[in-house]
Amino acid sequence: MDAFLLQMAKAITAGLLMGLVFGLVALGLTIIFGVMDIVNFAHGEFLMIGMYAGLLTATVFGLDPLFGLPVAAVVGFALGIACYYGLVRFLLRGPMVAQLFGTFGLMLFLRNVALLIMGADPQSVHSGLLVGKSFVLGPGIVIEVTKLAAGGLSLLAFGFMWWVMKRTKIGKALTATALDAQAARYMGIPTERMNSLAWGLGGATVGMAGALLLNFWPVEPNVGLLFTMIAFATVALGGFGSISGAAVAGLIVGLLINIPSMWDAFSMLIGGDRLQVGLLHQFKYSFVYAAYFLIMVFRPRGLFGWKH
Amino acid sequence: MARGYLMAALAVFAAFSLCTNAIAVDEIKIGVLYPLTGGAAAEGKELRDGAELAVEIANNVKTELDMAMAKNSGIKSLGGAKIKLIIQDHQGNPQLGADLAKKLIQDDKVVGLMGAYHSAVTKTVAAVAERYGVPMINESSTSPALTKEGLKWFWRTTPHDGTFTNDLFLFLQGLTQGKVRGVKPFDKKELLPIVSACEKTEWGSNVDAAIKEIGKPSGLEPQISLLYAAKAPDLSSEGQSLLSVKPATMLFAGYGADAILMIKTLKSLKAKPKLIWGQNAGFESPEFVSALGEDTEGILTRTVFSPRVGEVKKVSAQVNNLYKTKTGRDLSGASARAFTATQAWVHILEKAGSTKPQDLQKAANEVKIDADELIVPWQGIKFTTTGPDLGQNVLGTGMIGQYQKGKDGKMILEIVYPFELATADMIFPIKGW
Amino acid sequence: MEALRQAFDFSDFPRTDLCVAVAVAVFLFVFPALPHSSFAMATMIQFLMFSVYGMGWNTIGGYGGQVDLGKAQYVGIGAYTTAVMQIRWDLPFWVSLPIGMSLAVGWSFIIGYPLFRLRGHYFAIATIATSLILKDVFESWSFIGGARGLKIPLRAEMPDFWFLQFREDYYYYYVILAFFFVGLIYLNWFRQSRIGMQLRCIKDNEEMARSLGIDSHWAKIKAYAVATAFVAAVGSFHACYNFNIEPEDVMSLDLSVLIALMAMLGGAGSLWGPIIGAAILVPMKNYLGAWFGAKAGLIGLDLIIYSTIIMAIAAFEPRGIWGIVTRIRQSRSD
Repeated sequence: MDAFLLQMAKAITAGLLMGLVFGLVALGLTIIFGVMDIVNFAHGEFLMIGMYAGLLTATVFGLDPLFGLPVAAVVGFALGIACYYGLVRFLLRGPMVAQLFGTFGLMLFLRNVALLIMGADPQSVHSGLLVGKSFVLGPGIVIEVTKLAAGGLSLLAFGFMWWVMKRTKIGKALTATALDAQAARYMGIPTERMNSLAWGLGGATVGMAGALLLNFWPVEPNVGLLFTMIAFATVALGGFGSISGAAVAGLIVGLLINIPSMWDAFSMLIGGDRLQVGLLHQFKYSFVYAAYFLIMVFRPRGLFGWKH
Repeated sequence: MARGYLMAALAVFAAFSLCTNAIAVDEIKIGVLYPLTGGAAAEGKELRDGAELAVEIANNVKTELDMAMAKNSGIKSLGGAKIKLIIQDHQGNPQLGADLAKKLIQDDKVVGLMGAYHSAVTKTVAAVAERYGVPMINESSTSPALTKEGLKWFWRTTPHDGTFTNDLFLFLQGLTQGKVRGVKPFDKKELLPIVSACEKTEWGSNVDAAIKEIGKPSGLEPQISLLYAAKAPDLSSEGQSLLSVKPATMLFAGYGADAILMIKTLKSLKAKPKLIWGQNAGFESPEFVSALGEDTEGILTRTVFSPRVGEVKKVSAQVNNLYKTKTGRDLSGASARAFTATQAWVHILEKAGSTKPQDLQKAANEVKIDADELIVPWQGIKFTTTGPDLGQNVLGTGMIGQYQKGKDGKMILEIVYPFELATADMIFPIKGW
Repeated sequence: MEALRQAFDFSDFPRTDLCVAVAVAVFLFVFPALPHSSFAMATMIQFLMFSVYGMGWNTIGGYGGQVDLGKAQYVGIGAYTTAVMQIRWDLPFWVSLPIGMSLAVGWSFIIGYPLFRLRGHYFAIATIATSLILKDVFESWSFIGGARGLKIPLRAEMPDFWFLQFREDYYYYYVILAFFFVGLIYLNWFRQSRIGMQLRCIKDNEEMARSLGIDSHWAKIKAYAVATAFVAAVGSFHACYNFNIEPEDVMSLDLSVLIALMAMLGGAGSLWGPIIGAAILVPMKNYLGAWFGAKAGLIGLDLIIYSTIIMAIAAFEPRGIWGIVTRIRQSRSD
């Protein structure tokens, strides 16, 4: 029984920690979506550029990778604004399919520019306050510091975004733009600038996420691919545009991909066949997609979504 | 006057065409397919550099090298014709690989093909080569299925995963019997439980099957064996499952970044195994060491090359030096294998003395390259011509290396298997995290 | 009979369209006789395959306006049906083709029913999700080879028309060309048919469509099934053409996105759009790759150029290339 509880606690902790990371990565996507109804295929590439920004700060200046956070935020902000004025602004004139293929082009573009400049080798930082650190809680529950910090940062970022959206004039303007861009324009809100601000904020948060993830994940031009699909599922599960929804959905996704290790705990309890767990691991992302599919069918706007 | 020039020009032209007739061919084109963009771009670069170095040596006289192909300029039996590689990027996409193979065969008129790293791409490319009857030499795809098809135009220089996995269990048994340098005999139970995790595409699932099958008779089969998605952001649940039985031995097969992430995850989960072994690819690539640094200490990987081979083979050290001056890196398993396959091409062409497919096919089936010629510690190259493993090099052997800290503080791959080639005492058990 | 007449009735197109279409059709017929490189031949086959994929996608994605990013699952069903039946039971392509299409259509009904409760982005992501789940299933299903994939053995005698095994590529070319024309003519009927009209109505305004008594849910499911049949047919062809299939290859997200991308870039919702999209993107990708793809120091340049062109078209005319053509026509007639 003790072994069961311990293994279960380990699985749940790992799931929640990973969930915090997913939430942080998905936050930028949901901001952009919330304001302008556009799915950004290049989201993972923004993350990758944030990671490279952090990496270069750490290696060129020999600083702790944590100093990369503000740098990556600035880079991400600039990148978001540049993408908005250079590409997205034009895509908004067309139907939804145009946004998809436009941002798909952006994804390929950023990935291959990174390949051309930075090369294909996975790179990572070797020393730093958070790098490779973890501590043991109680009878053997390992907490990885990077993921915990990602959790802390995402709470901060979620809090900040919540504050911006609810308590500031800019946030109200953003919300107004999101609800009805045309009406907002009549009210004198510069919707164009609000849109670009959303892209800037989205880029800044995901850039920061990248710089933080660098403490654990190696960076290479294709790294965005790993997170994009999960980020999409997370955002959609939470409901497009809902900031708290993204946070909750991140945790759910984190728990779902740990179903195999939870099965481990149960098999300790009932003495099931341990080899079966191999099969479960093959399906661990399918659990996420299946959960998304089922929740969507019964609640077509996501857990916390407020618009279609 | 004008007519005079014309006559002179014609004369010169005639002279040239006579010359070229005498030499027959002055350039031999070999089509090469590597993944230069996409997930395996880093390995593609290694392979390319290795192949290009071999061509450089074959086309020029380098008397300081103890290698037959360094003695001549170009292919002697073809009148000193030079080899030219036509390299194409297949992006890890089997369909694109097949299309590019057709381009190379029919449009660029290559005499043969080489490539393609990903087993999946190699399969479609080999099917094209078979359809057109053009020889293909594969240097780095280790899926055993490739030589099980009875392909008549496909030869593989590298040992395949069956051999490598066999080596692993021979090594593990030898380890318990005290055959490994620096380790006393101990009870086999100390290596248990064994767990394994392989990435879940073509290659990894083949390795997984091989580990289960070959490990069983010796009582060393894994208690838990997982397949995981390599293109995924999180391996912590896999790590949890593997560690839940407190494993002594951990076996892996990973392509690139996932191998790095796996070790990082194990470290963060404070794993304490006695032995970690990786099935090449991600575990022997240069960026594995550069990304993980000292965390690699004690990790074993199967490979076909380590710079340490240079201590027992002079020619390996010489070629490694050339490679280092050219690229700034040591030869890795990938670049050494690409080098060796290109070398095999040179020998086949030399033996055939012709670029006709039938002659090349015959030459490839008959060619025998001695161990002294090669930079990899094999017993030579000789392809099977009958039986179920058609076209496989029977003299290839695997190696198992262990990352250890060198005198300069850098991590280096020391050889621990084959036992007689060992270059250092093995660290066992490793300290874990 | 009426349906057949409608299928060949192109009279509502401007004359220039038809002239270009006839010229292209003639070119496609005689292409193998013209001097060409075999890379050009392989590229043409790819172009035709993606045209048919795109035509299929266009029924639901273009006429119906439902952005489907999960078509690769049906490519997989088609390809695997053909490969499994050929390897296990030695059944020829022409037998497994309709079976594969039926299986794919059956599956599309099963998931289509809940799927079409979703709209817009939710729908797009749900299609990706179903496709990836099916890929996971195929990867761990040992009966069909699992992640190791399947290899179709070469037959002793070539050409073999029953099993679609040829040494020369032009046989494959004419087979897929036949698919192409059949698809085109079917689509010409489809766009004028009742269901085609209903779909366009739904795309413009779903509420209004419903108030007119159109069962929009059912109409979408039917269009989705049509799209699926197209895609599965080409999937079967892919298995014979490539001799080797794996989930990672035929069921990847990349393929799903590429199918949608070609149709969207050409112009979703027009008959010619997907063909134009494939005609531009496929050769561009192949030739850029062949020219710049392996230049040392410039790795990635080909895809940078490729993606820049995609972005430029998207930014210049979000309705795709067909949108540009329409725009030019309008400015002329003004």
